[in-house]
Amino acid sequence: MIKVEHVTKRYEGTTAVDDLDFEVNPGVVTGFLGPNGSGKSTTMRIILGIDHPTKGQATVNGKRYEHLRDPLHEVGALLDAKSVHPGRSARNHLRALAASNRIPYKRVDDVLDFVGIASVANKKVGTFSLGMSQRLGIAAALLGDPGILLFDEPVNGLDPEGIRWIREFFRSLANEGRTVFVSSHLMSEMAVSADQIIVIGRGKFITQGSIDSLTANAKGTVFVRAANHAQLATVLRDHHAVVTEANDEGLSVTELSAEEIGQLAFDAGVVLFELTPQRASLEDVFMELTADSVEYGSSGVRREQ
Amino acid sequence: MNSEVTFSSIVRSEWIKYRTVRSSIVGIFLTFFLTIGLGVLVTVLIRAHWNSPSNGPAQRLTFDPVQTSLVGVIFAQFAVGVIGTLFITSEYSSASIRTTLAAVPNRVRLIAGKFVVLVACTFVVGEVVSFLAFLIGQAIYSGVVPTASLSNGTVLRAVIFSGVYLTLLASLGFCIGLIIRHSAASISVFVAMLLVLPLIIAFLPQSWQNDSIRFLPGEGLGHSMTSVQPGSHLFAPWTSLGILVLYVVVLLAISTTLFRRRDA
Repeated sequence: MIKVEHVTKRYEGTTAVDDLDFEVNPGVVTGFLGPNGSGKSTTMRIILGIDHPTKGQATVNGKRYEHLRDPLHEVGALLDAKSVHPGRSARNHLRALAASNRIPYKRVDDVLDFVGIASVANKKVGTFSLGMSQRLGIAAALLGDPGILLFDEPVNGLDPEGIRWIREFFRSLANEGRTVFVSSHLMSEMAVSADQIIVIGRGKFITQGSIDSLTANAKGTVFVRAANHAQLATVLRDHHAVVTEANDEGLSVTELSAEEIGQLAFDAGVVLFELTPQRASLEDVFMELTADSVEYGSSGVRREQ
Repeated sequence: MNSEVTFSSIVRSEWIKYRTVRSSIVGIFLTFFLTIGLGVLVTVLIRAHWNSPSNGPAQRLTFDPVQTSLVGVIFAQFAVGVIGTLFITSEYSSASIRTTLAAVPNRVRLIAGKFVVLVACTFVVGEVVSFLAFLIGQAIYSGVVPTASLSNGTVLRAVIFSGVYLTLLASLGFCIGLIIRHSAASISVFVAMLLVLPLIIAFLPQSWQNDSIRFLPGEGLGHSMTSVQPGSHLFAPWTSLGILVLYVVVLLAISTTLFRRRDA
């Protein structure tokens, strides 16, 4: 289990992580979702003892990372896939890691085989594509057969086959009872690969829950087609609904449930042809949740809240 | 299975890292090439000119067969300094220091392991090249130029110290690299300590020069290899070596403290 306890990280002037407090539990894939620059990587480095928090602490299995006696057996991590000396071969990179934690060299060949880069094991890492580097990073994370795994943006650079492979792989790790913590800025990726999601923005905790609960809590839209759109829109607006789109095709209504709209239409004597609750996609939820906390908006200008 | 991270497992890991990158291999090759190559060049030239009229009695009197055969070490010190610097700065330039720290979170032990590997490797290389350069030089001199023998305690000390100096300079480069964490900048500072500081001191009044020059990290090298009397303003060989050891100890303490505190 990973515990992040009121962790704050400040760099001269900027707050990268602001009082984050959450737990990551075994047996499920936990997604760590946030826009680029929201503090995901910093949080992961703090969990691994690489960066020191300004306030608070992070623990794995109840201990601070630097107090682990055999770290690679407890935690495996893929940070930046390029965090490898480019002049060293993949096999020698893994052997150096294995030696430090007294892991037999046989295991190096096993994990190279498992991630599918055994054929290039003696090539210099500097010649690897991003996808191959990611696989090497995953191999390194698996070396000590750890119960806790952290992956920072693991699907970056993977081809579609690799992405499917890694999703199933995360699932199987979680099914074995391991703690799997995966960061991503892609909500669509999280929707298919994670069971639980922790959402952060600008270093701050936003929400946490299962995919279902997150989408359920979001403001859903109800699509309505009726005999008289103008009349229905007026009625609904009188009941504090937000009618976002009104044309001949139909109305998009938020702030009211399908049941309430049906009742109001019945009371007003408007015939309904269609009444469809549209479930918010995780993407919508994410945009809604992080709208105020996007570090770099698409305008290219930093937005202030 | 005992899987704990121990000092010996860190040393094994760092030894794999040391020998599997090109910079160490190239650095060791350069150390051999500079020490022995330049040694051969200089001793052959001295032998050829020994009996020429320009080589007067004064020159013959101050001639030092040990120092002249080890002259290449003065250049090799930059090669080993770069090996030591890159051994740590390459971890930062590639960000592999993060992977390293995830495997070995005990930072003091990590630095100790790295340092031991560097010191052991440089010491072996440094002694081998020093003895080879000395022996080859004396072989070239023999018959024409006066030679020195390792059976003379002062001569033996000079040759051994030459390898020790290379080891200490590699350590110095390592400490500077751990503080600065940037390859080019660290190498510049290392070279500046050896070359630029003496130049700055050369602009001071003579009496100050005499007082300060002997405290520079690189100054012990030339004269500790001398089996003849060193200049009066310099410390005795053992004292000079001690000063360089002190530099390394202080810088190692500072750099390790910084390493413990800083983010990686």
